[in-house]
Amino acid sequence: MKTLLAALALSTALVMPELALARPVTLTTTMNAYGGNPAYLALYVTDAQGAYLGSLWMAGGRSQYYQHLSDWYQATGGNPSEINGITGASVGSGRSLTVTLDLADALFDAGYVLHIDAASEEMRNSPNEIAVPLTTAGAGQATPGRRYIAAFAYAM
Amino acid sequence: MTTTHTLLALTTALAALVAIPAIGAVRSAQTLAPSMAVAADRDAMLILASGEDDDDDDGDHASRRSADDDCEDDDEGAGYAGAANPAPAGTVAPPANGLFGTGTLPQVQMN
Repeated sequence: MKTLLAALALSTALVMPELALARPVTLTTTMNAYGGNPAYLALYVTDAQGAYLGSLWMAGGRSQYYQHLSDWYQATGGNPSEINGITGASVGSGRSLTVTLDLADALFDAGYVLHIDAASEEMRNSPNEIAVPLTTAGAGQATPGRRYIAAFAYAM
Repeated sequence: MTTTHTLLALTTALAALVAIPAIGAVRSAQTLAPSMAVAADRDAMLILASGEDDDDDDGDHASRRSADDDCEDDDEGAGYAGAANPAPAGTVAPPANGLFGTGTLPQVQMN
């Protein structure tokens, strides 16, 4: 009986953290009608001190243009391995990009910040256009951008 | 005793439920990664073998920002030491940077 209870406790202890490790989070970026070519966007996370942790999404698949996402590029050197499997098409003027990712719970309410760099052909670069702290209370709240992005929000 | 057995069976089933997608994700990453590496190598070789000059002849590289994915044909060097373009979403698992869980691949929608 004791062995059985120990096995029960162990299996429960193994399962519960796994269930709580990650959750689906939807990131929605709505673009302004800026009138130019589709924009490249880099979504990435830093800690509270601004140190780069990793990338969440790259909108735009050609690496030669990544240098215009200047803050992201400075942090990563444009290394494509940072964005393998999380890269999609660039986002057109006035359009909306919705990405659902399985994100670690540890990202929320721990001082981490989600950033978006944006750039469009023959137009000005817009590094750090969005900088929003990742908190459970901040879910569903729209954050306005400066140039290309009308609003960004995340939902859990 | 019966209750304990039931609970044990329940938690074991729960563990299996969690483990199976995780194992599947790891396996898909292992099988997809080599094929993408081959594809990346092939792209790199094509660029090297083409011998074409850069089509971007406006002479203003500093002002070039970004471009639509399907309307450019210039082969100028990649930003990261000549690296190829990144693997698109859905073809390989997301990077193991600690930000992602192992459950599901990214889903994207453009409106």
